[in-house]
Amino acid sequence: MSSINHQQTFEKLVRPHFDRLYRLAWRLTSQKAEAEDLFQELLIKAYGKLDDLVKIDEPGSWLSRVMYNLFIDERRRFARRRMHTVEEGEMSGDGLAGLPGIDNPVRDHERLEQLIKLDAALSKLSDEHRLIVLLHDTEGYKLTEIQELIGVPVGTVKSRLHRARARLREILIENGTFS
Amino acid sequence: MQTKDLETELDKQDQEILALLKDYPMPQASAAYFDQALMRATHEGSRRQRNRWLVTGFGSALAAGLVLWMIGGFFLTTPDLPLADPTIPGITMTLEEPRTINLVFASAEPLDAATLTVQLPPGIEMSGFPGQREVTWETSLNAGKNLLPLKLIATSPLGGEVFAILRHDDRGRTFRLRIDVS
Repeated sequence: MSSINHQQTFEKLVRPHFDRLYRLAWRLTSQKAEAEDLFQELLIKAYGKLDDLVKIDEPGSWLSRVMYNLFIDERRRFARRRMHTVEEGEMSGDGLAGLPGIDNPVRDHERLEQLIKLDAALSKLSDEHRLIVLLHDTEGYKLTEIQELIGVPVGTVKSRLHRARARLREILIENGTFS
Repeated sequence: MQTKDLETELDKQDQEILALLKDYPMPQASAAYFDQALMRATHEGSRRQRNRWLVTGFGSALAAGLVLWMIGGFFLTTPDLPLADPTIPGITMTLEEPRTINLVFASAEPLDAATLTVQLPPGIEMSGFPGQREVTWETSLNAGKNLLPLKLIATSPLGGEVFAILRHDDRGRTFRLRIDVS
């Protein structure tokens, strides 16, 4: 296969999964620069394994697992630079326009305050609890998808999710988000 | 607060937390970012593969260790792949003592997207690939001398032959190296 054919084959295999992989990178690292590093490193690694990739039935799942393993390998580097606040300019879409209740500025402000507190609360969870909550409750991953990604039984994923939610609720009550 | 009220309150809080989590934002990457990442990956991926075994400083490599001209081998007479020599070169290794063997490939022209497979006999391992009897790289060859340093370790006194199989498109050539262990 020529170099150009390699590149075309690679792009055809990986591009459909870019959005989901980028979101996973973001949820793993919580910071744009680190998410982009991780995403880039995944693509480089995957390109080097193109011969394997073409034989895989579900490249998206495979790529997610490789990304997760890369993250675990370099967890210290990524984890130390975790985001601690949600900047309005970093909101999805057009910032507040992406949030519900756009017609009510007071509610928008309250929502933003809550999200900032949520961000702070999430940063207090352990890495494994935080990731499971974000993947399941924010990104909508199924328990079996999380099981496949992080390599633990579904029962363990469930119990971690339960504990993570309970801890998150405690922190949000402590920080005054809920009374 | 009564128990039932407390449960209701917790449920309400749980629902609010779930709603908050669903809104938890993240920035969107642009299509331009994805294009750049893809381009970097193919360039960097190719470069890393090349750098695994292409060394331009041939003189310093000669000084660094033993250099074996892997021109032994058999089959195929394709003119633009490195030429083969019927003689099988050999080295002697010491048991459990790592040794770097520099394999030199001379190519008449640049070759992109070639693959090199190294096959090891039982009892000879490659550093970084414990227990693997076969390792494959995708790589490119420059015109001229291309050098592949292989760090090997003998884990048994059996010795044997190492095969380095170079393939490009549908052509290929196999090089052999005899290893004795003392």
